[in-house]
Amino acid sequence: MRAPHILRPALCLGFGLATLAACATKPPASDPEALQEYQQTNDPLEPTNRFFYRVNNTLDAYLLKPAAQAYVFVLPIPVRNGVHNFLSNLSSPVLLADDVTQGKPRRAGDTFMRFMINSTAGVVGLFDVAKEVGYPGHDSNFGVTLALWGVPEGPFLYLPFLGPSSPRAFTGFAVDTAADPFNYVPHGYGLLTLNWARFGLGTLDTRSRYLGDIEKVKATALDPYATFRSLYRQNTQSQIEKVRDDNRATTPDWYQ
Amino acid sequence: MTETRPPMLFTRRRFLLAASLLTAALATGLRPAAAQVQGAEPFVKSFASQLVGIVNSPQSEAAKQAALGPVIDQNVDVPAIARFCLGRFWSQATPAQQQEYVALFHKVLLRNITGHLGEYRGVTYQVTGTRNQGGEELVGTTIDRPQQQPIDVEWVVSGQSGAPKVVDVIAEGTSLRLTQRQDYASYLSRHSFNIDTLIAALRRQLART
Repeated sequence: MRAPHILRPALCLGFGLATLAACATKPPASDPEALQEYQQTNDPLEPTNRFFYRVNNTLDAYLLKPAAQAYVFVLPIPVRNGVHNFLSNLSSPVLLADDVTQGKPRRAGDTFMRFMINSTAGVVGLFDVAKEVGYPGHDSNFGVTLALWGVPEGPFLYLPFLGPSSPRAFTGFAVDTAADPFNYVPHGYGLLTLNWARFGLGTLDTRSRYLGDIEKVKATALDPYATFRSLYRQNTQSQIEKVRDDNRATTPDWYQ
Repeated sequence: MTETRPPMLFTRRRFLLAASLLTAALATGLRPAAAQVQGAEPFVKSFASQLVGIVNSPQSEAAKQAALGPVIDQNVDVPAIARFCLGRFWSQATPAQQQEYVALFHKVLLRNITGHLGEYRGVTYQVTGTRNQGGEELVGTTIDRPQQQPIDVEWVVSGQSGAPKVVDVIAEGTSLRLTQRQDYASYLSRHSFNIDTLIAALRRQLART
């Protein structure tokens, strides 16, 4: 699950030069337990990552978190749920592509039916009607697809603005962004405004959903950075396993 | 020949018996926990019912916290979790450090659990199934809270201490003890692997209101 040996120094050098930060020092082979821990952590860019963790934290404390708190304070839960449903519905085309590339026909079918039902009966996606009629929602991304294709995760990355990631997850993010049809709206249409609103609301929606959890980690962890790293890795792994183990038969229940 | 056959059979049978006994003894000797975690699912049901009962009861927050302490001590193998969280540093710690660390860990854990009781009002749960992993039973539950997405929680039950006890909670795929272990390991690696600094940090954490 690590980058090839030749790549690692190059990665370190690239990021190191970019940020004037150093790489984490690898423990000597004489300390096998420490070495094993270093390899498990797989965070050779830790000093650089910690730098961006601090940058993001500062931005979050002064901009994002207050904005998310205001969002929660101003809008009642039903409205926020409507916004969330609307945004989820907009990302259905990308999700469908992810489900298909993951080779999961039932998940792809769920996504397709959800998009059809929620866009119409659910009033442009504001209400999650599809869930009530047997098409529960799920989340995925192209990073999961890459994982199922056998692409290793690579070292841990903490990216400016984006937060915890990895070369694999970041590639997945780039592919998902490029695949999103709403990103190809021609200029001069009102939909361009919709795209910006979508980006802004999406950020607020996501951040507001983690208000309590992030505070909890910061309050209880001795090293919040390491705790977020651990949680991110475990969460990614469990997301991949969930998709991998979803082997529902393609024949629908009513046919049998 | 006819005289030798019955004893031959007898010894063969005795050999088979001895062999099967030995295998059984070896198996139980290697995994003393396996046999005792049989009742993992009813155990988790009873523990979860006690927790949910307290959390949903109409008593005050302080009374709930007081009631939770004994229930957790009775059903959770706190010393085993503490040992796991210290990882490779456990064997490097002196007995005095180990003792102090476990006592502090116990207090921190209780505080972290009881500190967020308010968020779990109106909680319900369902047992979804049990699987075995490395001699421990993982009992899966789905927890429902009003106005929130249901969460999948697995309770890891071990019989290592003689009776079934919870040794980890895995919420949506993230393990409590693994996360804590990596937190402590990182803290120690940034404080010259000095266990006393960890103990001091835990003490500071408890002193914070």
